[in-house]
Amino acid sequence: MGFWQFLSTRHQQLLVDAYQHASAVFQCMVIATVIGVLIAVLTYRTEWAGNLAVTTTAAILTVPSLALIGLLIPILGLGVPPTVTALVLYGLLPIVRNAIVGLRGVDASLVEAARGIGMSRTARLLRVELPLAWPPILTGIRVSTQMLMGIAAIAAYASGPGLGNEIFTGIASLGSANALNEVLAGTLGIIVLALAFDAGYVLIGRLTIPRGIRG
Amino acid sequence: MTGIRPPGGRDDAPSAPGTPPGEPSAPGDDGARGGANRWDDGGAVAVADGDDGAAAGAGEDADAAAGRAAHRPARKVTWQKLVFTPAVLVVALVATYLWITHIHLDAIEHNSLDNGNVQLRLWQHIRLTAISTFWVLVIAIPLGIALTRRRLRPVAPAFTALANIGQATPAIGLLALLVIWLGIGARTAIIGIVAYAVLPVLSNTVAGLRAIDPTMVEAARGIGMSPPGVLTRVELPLAVPLILAGVRTALVLNVGTATLATFGGGGGLGDLITSGIVNQRMPVLILGSILTVALALFVDWLASIAEALLRPRGLGADT
Repeated sequence: MGFWQFLSTRHQQLLVDAYQHASAVFQCMVIATVIGVLIAVLTYRTEWAGNLAVTTTAAILTVPSLALIGLLIPILGLGVPPTVTALVLYGLLPIVRNAIVGLRGVDASLVEAARGIGMSRTARLLRVELPLAWPPILTGIRVSTQMLMGIAAIAAYASGPGLGNEIFTGIASLGSANALNEVLAGTLGIIVLALAFDAGYVLIGRLTIPRGIRG
Repeated sequence: MTGIRPPGGRDDAPSAPGTPPGEPSAPGDDGARGGANRWDDGGAVAVADGDDGAAAGAGEDADAAAGRAAHRPARKVTWQKLVFTPAVLVVALVATYLWITHIHLDAIEHNSLDNGNVQLRLWQHIRLTAISTFWVLVIAIPLGIALTRRRLRPVAPAFTALANIGQATPAIGLLALLVIWLGIGARTAIIGIVAYAVLPVLSNTVAGLRAIDPTMVEAARGIGMSPPGVLTRVELPLAVPLILAGVRTALVLNVGTATLATFGGGGGLGDLITSGIVNQRMPVLILGSILTVALALFVDWLASIAEALLRPRGLGADT
């Protein structure tokens, strides 16, 4: 069976897998962004706490994904729970680091000015500091997303959702007529999804970055 | 896409906060400088795996000690940095050993863990990592140097585009395609691991060479140095920190990708993890995972020490 024929006969299954892949990565990115920015907001004002947050998340990223998933299986079982946990953990570092760098890079005189016009601590954070730190945070989100695309493929081995299943089905049936098609469909699908997400983030950047600090 | 980012590994692209929004910084100056910073703050002692269930007890100590170690400047080789990671790893490994020798193992578990199988897989993993890292460096560093020479500069954007697609490619898909193309075995696995790591290390090298102050190169030319002289006596020494960071990236990335070698019949610790999952034997799965994590953190530690020791002396504080 040729690749195009394979795509047309299997397109339903492939679309389901692609949708699940994208939605798993997207949802994990939302969780990772919330947790990551929260960690950064809590730690960026103290030197050691910020460094500890960065060091800890960096150590998580050093751990090979198959091994982390392997350690999560005895605790969380197979399927969605270890996948989500692993993806969120791996997604944290770029966000935490860029958020801390971004928040620390905000011009102190601007924060002072905001205080001067009577803004509360929360208002300063939400209306001055975070908007100014948003471009590096968004970059961190893009980096994380690309990484998670590949890790989500590996998570399919622990019965996770997504296009990784196509790849592992192909590996399991090496030598069969469809092995190449399955692996190719899974791999190319992930590349397409990764590039599409990236384009989406460029668009989000255009729409959400305050006009005043746009380059 | 952003700066220098080996996908799936420990690295992340440093976002230079000054980068114009919406405009991804090419692996150029910003990326490079961010990269250098990144290794500095990431170079602090790694917090080890308190999450390994089996080796409980190590966890709390680890966190507390990391708190103490983290705010030290990571640049210098402090004794904490030297001792902390190995100490945590030793504790975790001893605890794992005691646990695995004291629980009851059934026939399948004995089959997976006896007769030197664990040692064999560990050794295969180290071999895969070492050989692939060697090839990554042999390919990526000269290529990076070539791409920054004036004559080849027009080709560089094409490589950046290629690197972007490479970053979007999942390691497991790449490996599976190679297995179908070249057949199973350690050789295929090594080719896959190398192919996956070359691009990040290449962009690291290119970024490192580009970040060099052009006035230095100009000055070297001005005092009459030949182009090879400028390269070997000015540019390369100045790029050493970023090239070393590339070595570290490659090593850590390769330890991780080598776990996937098992899907291509290449052996390694991934074998223990997958057979643990397939046979539903948690001790095998946990042992394989802990050994992999320990190896990854150990290799990262080793590379961070090498990074600190090999940095040229003149490039102290802020490179």
